[in-house]
This record gives sequence, structure tokens and C-alpha cells, in this order.
Amino acid sequence: MTVLTMATAKGGTGKTLVCQVLLCALAGDMRVVALDADPNGALSRWAARAYEGPPIEVLAEADETRLAHLIAEKAETADLVLVDTAGFGNRAATVAMTSADAVLVPALAGEADITEAERTVRLTEALARAARRDIPTRVLLNRVRRTSLARHALAEVTTAALPRLDASLSDLVAFGELSYSGRLPDAGTAATEVAALVAELRALAWLPDMTTIRKADMTTIRKADMTTSQEGATTPPRKGALT
Amino acid sequence: MKPPLKARPTAKEALAVAEQTAPSLPPTQIETADRPTSLTMRLREGTVAALADVARDRGLTIKQVVAHALKKDGVAVMPADMEDRTPRRR
Repeated sequence: MTVLTMATAKGGTGKTLVCQVLLCALAGDMRVVALDADPNGALSRWAARAYEGPPIEVLAEADETRLAHLIAEKAETADLVLVDTAGFGNRAATVAMTSADAVLVPALAGEADITEAERTVRLTEALARAARRDIPTRVLLNRVRRTSLARHALAEVTTAALPRLDASLSDLVAFGELSYSGRLPDAGTAATEVAALVAELRALAWLPDMTTIRKADMTTIRKADMTTSQEGATTPPRKGALT
Repeated sequence: MKPPLKARPTAKEALAVAEQTAPSLPPTQIETADRPTSLTMRLREGTVAALADVARDRGLTIKQVVAHALKKDGVAVMPADMEDRTPRRR
């Protein structure tokens, strides 16, 4: 139903983290499929080794042609398709942006992050014009600290007239732990920020309408082996996983 | 002016739009150079004859018969080795 792509041409801004956060927050409510278009496979590896929540399907595909078909196919059956892209300008990310109903652009406070976020927003606008459809885009500030640097980054985003979410993710240990534990905390600042992010995405209608989601169908979702796209057994958390 | 399309593009349309809008972007992953090399095996004449019979029946080369069997058995055979690349006379 809804295709939400995480994209920016800058690496390390939190695209995979946002996918992980949304998977943990939404998998219990709807049929979520994540497509890992980043060749480093961080999201699919996390789903196979660390994720502990309700069933999800995560498939790794970095080839733009196969990705385009996979997005179209999964959009037919899933309530939400999340696409995680690689942190540099590449064809698969461009196809994922073109196929998206909305694009989320995570950015840190650095100059390169803001510059690449702006480029990504402008590219999405160009893709939307070429496709003759609306592809709404929002910058999501990530790893935010209460510093003058963060305030400056916010000012830069505003000056560049980049559309931005009010929600943001702080520089919290809980988000770092998520990459090992596969779990979001139930309470605390991280939980509050995730709830605010989900609420804002719902308000923007970037997430599917809960009333249209058929919960009975969710039993058909399986947890997939990420590298082979086949059904795989749940693997134990890797060595060093936080418990 | 054409009215804006609201529907999500098909895979083919999405690929075309991406190619048209950002043609200079590189592929996400580039295949590494995979140069051809040789593998020689000593086999009994009977085995080679059997391979040749199967290849003739299936319209494949002996190499293709071996490559397809290995692929079926889970060996990561490169796509180029699955094809008939016998040089043709002009």
C-alpha cells in the first residue's frame, strides 16, 4: 500500500536506523516489508541476527531493475514497504525514490549531511516532476544534541527551505543498542521520540490507515533469510549482542 | 499540460524516470572482473561419451551440461558459464 524510502547521498546519517525503528514500532500493527537496497546489507543482517519483534519480511536487493519490480510486487501485498538505500548517489536509490509514496531523508548536523540532504530533496522533486506525481519528502534530523551545532544545522535546513519533520531522534544509547538487541525500549526518551515520529508520519498519511489493515492476514508474513530471500530459521543473536 | 499522475509508477516507468532524471548516477553495486580461466579434468571415455550424449540430446555444449548440473547442485556458477559461447564460423 505505502512505499516509504529512506534516502540521502550521505552515508552514516541513520537511514538503516530509521528503518529499524519503524520496523520495531510498526510490525505488530501491520504487514511490513523492508527492502535492503544497500549492498553492505546492514538492515538485512540486523533482521536476520538481532531483530526479535513480530514477524517481518526483509529482502536484500541492490540491483535497480530487480528492486523496481520487487517494490511494485511487495506494494501489492504489504501494508507498508520500507526501502533502505545506500549512502551515496546510486541508481537503486533513485528508483526507490521514484517508486516511493514518500521519502524520508535522515540527516545529522554536519555540513555534508545538510548539503546531501538538500541534494536528495531536490533530486526527489525532479523525479516527482518527471513521474508527474507527488513524492512528498521530509528531512529527519538524527542524533540530535542540544548544542549550538544542532541549532546551526536546524537553521541551515530552514534557510535551504527543506521540508522537515518536527520529530527528530536524539543521540541516545538506546538507538545504538537497537542495532545489537533488535528491540526498542518500552519507555524513556527513545520510546517517546519514536512514538512522536510514528504519530507525525501518521498525521502526514505516510503510514497506512489502520482501519484498512486486515490483521487476520498478518499471519502469512514470515521472517525471511535476508541474504537468500528464502524463509529462514530465526538465528540466535550474534556474539556480543546486548541483552 | 498533462495532469499529474497519482498512481505509483510501474517498475518499468520508475526505471525510465530514474534513468531520464539522473543518468549519470552509478549502479549500486559493480560486478568485479571475473576473467575466464581453465579447468581440466581426466575422465573415463565412457563418462565423456555419456556427457556428449546428454549434451546432444539437450542441444547444449558439454560445458553447459556440467555447469547446469553444478548450478542445480547449489554451486555458484557464473551466468556466463551457463551460456553457449562457442565461437561461430562466419
